[in-house]
Amino acid sequence: MTTPLESAEPAVQAAGPAEERSAGRGTLRYAAAKAGGALFSIAMVIVGTFFVFRLLPGDPVRNLAQGRNMTPAQLDLERHRLGLDKPLVDQFFDFVGKTLRLDLGTSYEYKRPVLDLIGERFGPTLLLAGTGLVIAVSLGIWQGTRAGWQRGSGFDRFSTGTSLVLWSVPTFWLGLLLMMVFGVGIGPIPGLLPFRGIESVDAPDGFAYVLDVAAHMVLPCLTLVAVVYAQYLLVMRSSLLEEVGQDYVTVARAKGLRDDEVRRRHAVPNALLPTVTLVFMRIGFVVGGAVTVETIYTWPGLGQLFYEAVRVPDFTLMQGTFMLITVAVIIMNTLADVVYHLLDPRVRSA
Amino acid sequence: MRKWLARLAALGVAVLVAGQGTTAALAQDPSAGKKVLKVGATQSMDSMNPFLAVRLVSTSIHRWMYGYLTVPDPKTLQPSPDLAESWSASPDGLTWTFKIRQAKWSDGQPITAEDAAWTFNKMMTDEAAKTANGPAVENFQSVTANGQDLVIKLKSPQASILENPTPIMPKHVWESVTDLANYDAEKYPSVSSGPYVAVEHKKDQYVKLQANPNYWRGKPKIDELQVIFYDNPQAAIAGLKKGDIDLIGRLNPPEFEAIQNDPNIVAWNTQGRRAAYLQINHGATTSDGKPVGDGHPALKDLKVRQALHYAIDKQKLVDEVQNGLAKPADGSIVPPMYKDWFWEATGEEKVTYDPAKANQILDDAGYKKGPDGVRTMPDGKRKLEFRFSIHTDTPIEDKLAEYLTGFFKAIGITLTTKKLDSSKFTEETGTTALFDIAISGWSVNPDPEEVLATHLCSRRPDPNGQGGGTESFFCDDTFEKLYQEQLKELDRPKRIELVKQMQERLYTQAPIIAIYYNNDLEGYRKDRIASITPIPEDKGLLYGGSGYWPFYTVVVKDPAAAGASGGGGSNTGLIAGIVGAVVVLGLGAFFLTRRRKSTADERE
Repeated sequence: MTTPLESAEPAVQAAGPAEERSAGRGTLRYAAAKAGGALFSIAMVIVGTFFVFRLLPGDPVRNLAQGRNMTPAQLDLERHRLGLDKPLVDQFFDFVGKTLRLDLGTSYEYKRPVLDLIGERFGPTLLLAGTGLVIAVSLGIWQGTRAGWQRGSGFDRFSTGTSLVLWSVPTFWLGLLLMMVFGVGIGPIPGLLPFRGIESVDAPDGFAYVLDVAAHMVLPCLTLVAVVYAQYLLVMRSSLLEEVGQDYVTVARAKGLRDDEVRRRHAVPNALLPTVTLVFMRIGFVVGGAVTVETIYTWPGLGQLFYEAVRVPDFTLMQGTFMLITVAVIIMNTLADVVYHLLDPRVRSA
Repeated sequence: MRKWLARLAALGVAVLVAGQGTTAALAQDPSAGKKVLKVGATQSMDSMNPFLAVRLVSTSIHRWMYGYLTVPDPKTLQPSPDLAESWSASPDGLTWTFKIRQAKWSDGQPITAEDAAWTFNKMMTDEAAKTANGPAVENFQSVTANGQDLVIKLKSPQASILENPTPIMPKHVWESVTDLANYDAEKYPSVSSGPYVAVEHKKDQYVKLQANPNYWRGKPKIDELQVIFYDNPQAAIAGLKKGDIDLIGRLNPPEFEAIQNDPNIVAWNTQGRRAAYLQINHGATTSDGKPVGDGHPALKDLKVRQALHYAIDKQKLVDEVQNGLAKPADGSIVPPMYKDWFWEATGEEKVTYDPAKANQILDDAGYKKGPDGVRTMPDGKRKLEFRFSIHTDTPIEDKLAEYLTGFFKAIGITLTTKKLDSSKFTEETGTTALFDIAISGWSVNPDPEEVLATHLCSRRPDPNGQGGGTESFFCDDTFEKLYQEQLKELDRPKRIELVKQMQERLYTQAPIIAIYYNNDLEGYRKDRIASITPIPEDKGLLYGGSGYWPFYTVVVKDPAAAGASGGGGSNTGLIAGIVGAVVVLGLGAFFLTRRRKSTADERE
C-alpha cells in the first residue's frame, strides 16, 4: 500500500502495422528475459528468507515453549525435530531442497504442513482481497476518469479530496470506526452488519450460506476499498489529464464527436495504461491479503495466518507465508511488465 | 469497455443481492430453540491435543471437556473429588491410591483406572506428551492400574500431588496415536469425561461444545457452549456490546471501562489470580553457580533492592496505571484471593512508600549522590543507572515505566526503559539475564507450588545457559529448605505455614518486588445469562478462573423469551436486507443511466 503513485507516460501515437511481426518475436524474447529476471529474484528470495529468519531474535525452541518450563532433554528433542541441531550449511541445503519440492515445512503452531494451511486460507483471502481490488479499481477508474475529465469541477474536488482523506486514514482506525458504526450501531443507527469472521458460527446451508458470507464481507471489503481506491483514482486522473491536451483529442472533438464519446473511445483507453500496470502489481499483494483488515475482522485468510505466525512466533509458517507473498509480487510484477509490453507499442519500440 | 462494465455490474449486483438476502439466512438459524452460551476469546486455541496445548484458552476448554483426578472445590478451592472419588496415602507419603469413579466416557465406554494410568505413563515415557504438563509427572516413579484403583508411586513425597493439572484421556481412543507430537486431535465429537464434548473446531474462528449427557455430575443446564475467537480485543468488546457473544473474560482496565456503563452488561470486577512484580537481577547465575548476564552490580546489594522497594508508591501505581482496578501488593507472589495461602507483611518487616527512608538506606550504605543528583557505587566507579525491560506494544507497561522512573529519580537512581518483543524478552529475563529490572507477573493456581518453584535454584538455566524456567534467578538456601519441607508436609495447615514463610523470604530478600494484584475483569450480558456461579463462589472468577464450575452451573435465559431484548437476529436481517435493497436499487439506477447513455451514443 506504500507504492508511490506513478505519473503517466507521455502519449505517442500507436506504432504502424509493419512492425507487428518483429514485435511478436520481440515480445517473446522480452518475456523470456523478464521471466529469467523473476526466477533469479525468486532464488534470491529463497536464500534471503533462510538467513533472515535465522537472524530473528529469540530461540525458536524456547518460543515454542511459550514461557513453560522445559527440561534440556525436551529442548533437545524439539531442536532435533525441527532440524535445528544440524550444521547451518546442512540446514540451508535441506531448506532449499524442500522449498524447490514445494515442501514448506510443518507449522510449529498448527502441527500441519504450511502448504496445506496456505491452501486453506487462500480462498477466503482471494474472496475478500479480490473483491476489494475489483471494487477499488472500478471505483478508482470511474471517479478518476470523471475527475480528470472535468478537472477543477465540484466532482473533481470532492472525489479527489474524499479519496485522499480516506487514503491517509489509518486502516485500523477506520476499520474499528466502521465496526462501531455499522456493526454495533451508534445512536439511531442500528448495528446491522456482522464484523467477525467469514461466516456465522451457526452458519446456514446452501444459498443462505452464500448470503451469510456476503453479509460478513461488507465491512472488511468497505474498509479495504476505502483506504486503497485513491491510488487508482489519482493515477487515472493524472493520466487522463495528460491525454486531454493531446492533438488526437482535439481532432476527435473537431470531428464533432460528443464529449462522452471523445472520453470513452479516445482518451480513456490511452489513459488506462498506467492503471493496468498498477492493478497487476496490486494483484501480487492480494495474495498477501490485507493483514490489518483481516485481523480487525478476524477474517480467516492469509493475512490472519501471517499475523498469527508473527504473534506466536511460528517461524516455519512465517517463512512460508513470507515466501508466498514475495513470490506472488515478483510474478505479478513480471506479468505487469509483459502485459504492458503487449498493450503499449511505445514500450516495444523503446 | 462495455463488456467490462457489464461484467462489473453483474458482480456488483450479485454481491448486493447476496446482502439483501441476509433476512432469509438469519431466519433459518439452526441454533433456534437451543440454549447456547457464547464466550468470546482473544486468544485462539493452539491445539485440541491436551498433551500439547499450553495456551490459557486451550487449557480452559480442556477443563470443560475432561475430568481430572481432583478439581478445586467451588467454595474452598481445596482439592475435591473429580474422577478420583477418594484417595489415601501410605504413611511415608510415597504411595498414593486413587479410587476412580464408576462413570462413563461420552461414547459410553466405562472410565477406569487404566485410562488414568495410560495418561500418566504416556507422559512419563513420551517426551512429546510432556509438552503441556511435563512437570506434573516428574516426581512419579510408577503408575499402575488395578480395576478402579490407580496407584501412583512417587520418587519423593509431594503434597501437591492432589492438584495434578493433567486431564485424564480415554485410553481406548488415544492409544492408537503413534506420533503424539504431530497429532492435532481434530476428531469430532471428542470422547470426553467432563461436562462438555467438543463437536466442531474451526481454527482461529470458533470451538463448539455440546453438553455431555454422560457427565457424572449430570448434564449441564445449557445445550451448547461456543468459544468465539476475535483477533483483536476491541472487536471482542464490540461483539459483547452487540450481543454476538454473551461473556468475555481477561479484560484489561481500558477494555473494562468500555463496558462499564453499558446497561445490558454486568461488569465483573473481583480480586484476581494474578500478581504483577518487578524481577530484579540480583546477580544471576546458572544452575552450576556461574554468573551469567550483565546485571548492574549494585543490585546484588540487598540494601539497594530494599531502597527500591521503599521508593515505589504502589497505591499510586494502582490508581494511575491500573485505573484503580488492582490492589497494592503488601505481600509476595500469592494474591489475596487465595485466602488460605496469602501472606501479608506486617510490623517492622512491612515496606511502605517512604522515599526519605529509601534515601537514608542508600546514604548509609555509601551510595553517594554525585553533582548531577545520581548516586554512584561506594567505590565511586559506576553510577546507579538501571535498565527497565518491558514488552513492546503494551501501553500499561509504558505507563508503569514512566512512574517508576519518577519514583527512582527521587532517590538518585536513573531508570531507562528497554522495550523488547516477547520472545527476546523471555530470553533476556529468563535465560541470558541481560537485564537489571524487568516487569513480570504470574497467574497463580489454587495450589501455589508451581509459582514458588519458579524461584528455585534448579530452575536456573543449565551450565550451557539453556532451558530452565526461573522467574528471578533466585537461589537461596532458606527458600530451598522450606520448599522441600512443604513438599513432604501432608498436613495442610502446617504446609500453608511453610508456604507463607517462603513468601516472606521472597519479600525480605527482594529478588522480586510485588507491586500489585490485578483484578479479574470480565463482562457478561444480563439479558442472556440468567445466572452464573463464580469460582470460588464468594466473589470469585468466571472465565478468568480457568475452571469448569462457572460454565457447568451457568443458566442462560430461554432463547424465545430473550429474543425480544437480545437484539433478535431476524430484526437485524431485515434491516440488512433493506440496506442491501437500497444499495442494489442505487447501483441499478447508476448502471441503467450508463446503459441509456451508451445506447444514445450508439444511435449517433
